[in-house]
Amino acid sequence: MRIAAGVDVGSTQTKAVLIGANGDGVKVLSRSLIDTGANVRKAAEKAFDECCQAAGIAQADVGFVVGTGYGRYNISFGHTQMTEISCHARGAHFLCPGTRTVIDMGGQDAKAIGVGPSGEVLDFVMNDKCAAGTGRFLANAAEVMGIGLDDIGPLSLRATRPVKIATVCTVFVESDILSYLSQGKKPEDIMGGVHLAIAKRTMSLARRVNIEPLVTMTGGVARNIGMVRALETVLGQKIIVTPDAQFMGAVGAALFSLEKLGESFESSVWREHAVSSRD
Amino acid sequence: MAEKPVSEYRGSIHQQQKDLMLDWYQHLDHAAETGDPPTVSMMISGNCVELLEGFGAIPQYPEVNALQLAIRHQSLEPILAAEEMGYAGDNCAYVKADIGCMLKGITPTGGRLPKPTLVLCNFVGCNTYVKWFEHVAAFTGAPLFVLDVPFLRNDTPSQADIDYVVRQLKEVVGQMEELIGRKFDYDRFRQSVAYSSEVEDLWSQIKHLAKNSPSPFDAYFDAITLMGPLYVYRGKREGVEFFRAALNELQQKVKAGEGVYDQERFRVVVEGPPPYPYFRTFRDMFASWKAVAVASTYSTVGGLWEFGFRHDAKNPFESVAMHMLAQNVTNRNYLQRYDQIRRYVQEWNADGVIIHFVKSCRLFSAGQGDMRDYFTKQLGVPTLYIESDLEDPRYFAEAQTKNRIDAFFESLEHAKRTATHAVGA
Repeated sequence: MRIAAGVDVGSTQTKAVLIGANGDGVKVLSRSLIDTGANVRKAAEKAFDECCQAAGIAQADVGFVVGTGYGRYNISFGHTQMTEISCHARGAHFLCPGTRTVIDMGGQDAKAIGVGPSGEVLDFVMNDKCAAGTGRFLANAAEVMGIGLDDIGPLSLRATRPVKIATVCTVFVESDILSYLSQGKKPEDIMGGVHLAIAKRTMSLARRVNIEPLVTMTGGVARNIGMVRALETVLGQKIIVTPDAQFMGAVGAALFSLEKLGESFESSVWREHAVSSRD
Repeated sequence: MAEKPVSEYRGSIHQQQKDLMLDWYQHLDHAAETGDPPTVSMMISGNCVELLEGFGAIPQYPEVNALQLAIRHQSLEPILAAEEMGYAGDNCAYVKADIGCMLKGITPTGGRLPKPTLVLCNFVGCNTYVKWFEHVAAFTGAPLFVLDVPFLRNDTPSQADIDYVVRQLKEVVGQMEELIGRKFDYDRFRQSVAYSSEVEDLWSQIKHLAKNSPSPFDAYFDAITLMGPLYVYRGKREGVEFFRAALNELQQKVKAGEGVYDQERFRVVVEGPPPYPYFRTFRDMFASWKAVAVASTYSTVGGLWEFGFRHDAKNPFESVAMHMLAQNVTNRNYLQRYDQIRRYVQEWNADGVIIHFVKSCRLFSAGQGDMRDYFTKQLGVPTLYIESDLEDPRYFAEAQTKNRIDAFFESLEHAKRTATHAVGA
């Protein structure tokens, strides 16, 4: 079995994935996730090490490593680098066949990627020098409300009268929220409003590429069910999310690694993780 | 995948350009001391440098001063000085750098800049210029002439527009005669227009050499190098000699099959000015992909000659007016710019378009979002849209910019590989 790795060093978290290929196809062997922190190089090493340990595979047996994400040039053991834009497209094409649009929401980035039939990037747009519509916006909102990041999504789904959040500025949203709290608005309605505001902002960005089904969401924010629902509401169609959504960049990087080892993943029939849409 | 930055073509034209521009700054320094030669502050876009030759005057370009500062990583200090004085954050940073320089006594080369004999606001395509030049006049105490050039509303300017600009050019001549105290030398002006025509012909031939594969030069980054002499020396014999030598050097490269890099992997068209504070960094982002600009709109801000227009010594005033009205990219309408880029993509055989939005220049940049849609969605041309600024280093995010550029070329690489496979199949 040929073994390849992808390491995605994001602004907030670092993800590593090992995949293996044999005659039957391609399989995700292991994954690891750690906070990036201040030392990007160490974060990459640690994530890779944990990933290898989880699979019970020696690092020396990994044939090729592709680094992606903002810290990709700091991965000392990486053989080459690819942008996370290419990697998310490739990963989504593999795990969610038929994907034509990727919406990736990470810690500091929100991007929309038009994907071609062979997983290639046709077009992409990203937020520019502003954290509106990213995980950081949600994290700030959660902090002001005193609610855990994992709880804000489910809470937002209970909103009956979502408030209007006028700003999409990550800094000024705090004063908007404080103002609603002082007016006695319910936390779920405030969070409903926050999620809708980001969804609208993200969709106005995403519409600059042709949004074609299937639409797959990737990145850490895909774990937030409230955000998935809000995006579906604004978009008016189903969004595909896999359990590996947060690892999509690393999966794509690992697939590029496999390509470097001379393996084609196009004929893959061996997928451990079924595609799932959150119903 | 992006490779390490590689060294690109550096020819004798790069050194000659440096010498010519240094020489010009020395003349300005001399003028600061002696008042000779007379100097005129002008705008690059659609400049009427030929008119100055009729008085033996030389141009000063506040834009060139600003970009020279930025490329030397010295623009932030004057920008902050102007902001401290009250210029707003979203004012054009060219303006702030220029005003800040006057406040702080900074010049790009360290030499002196003279008080202009005349501040000639050849208001082409940029309404900020009116205020900028009013301020230049106020700071220097020099007289101001606002030369109103109407925007191009149709494919070509009306006779009334041409007459309107010609009349103003003649008014400028009258005012210069009074200021300098000598008559306008019409023959010298006509000779200058003839030199311009020759330079434009040579420059146009150079631009068309980029149709070769590999292109012998980068029609964005190297073209910017050649733009200095184009605006300062266009109406002079030195300009003709420089561009003749440049054409010859580049023709030799074509004959030898030499490109900008050892291998040309991608051909792009670039729209918009460069981020001068990070000029080298920005260029390296393209060099690492061995991506060559085969055409650019920025290299036509001062004049658009590759499609046939030339100054005409038989009708010098009219041809100068025509150049200001219709033959520079900034005074033309947006649909004409679409068409200019479309022709570049098709006739220069480009793989994609890079749009660089600059926050300082709303007039140049407004509408570029629609432009991106036009090329990607209507023409199916891969188009990358990135944002920063031409002068203010605070707007350049290196990691974000590199990420976008890398992703763009990764996708082009994939498309090329797929196409190769398709042909092979």
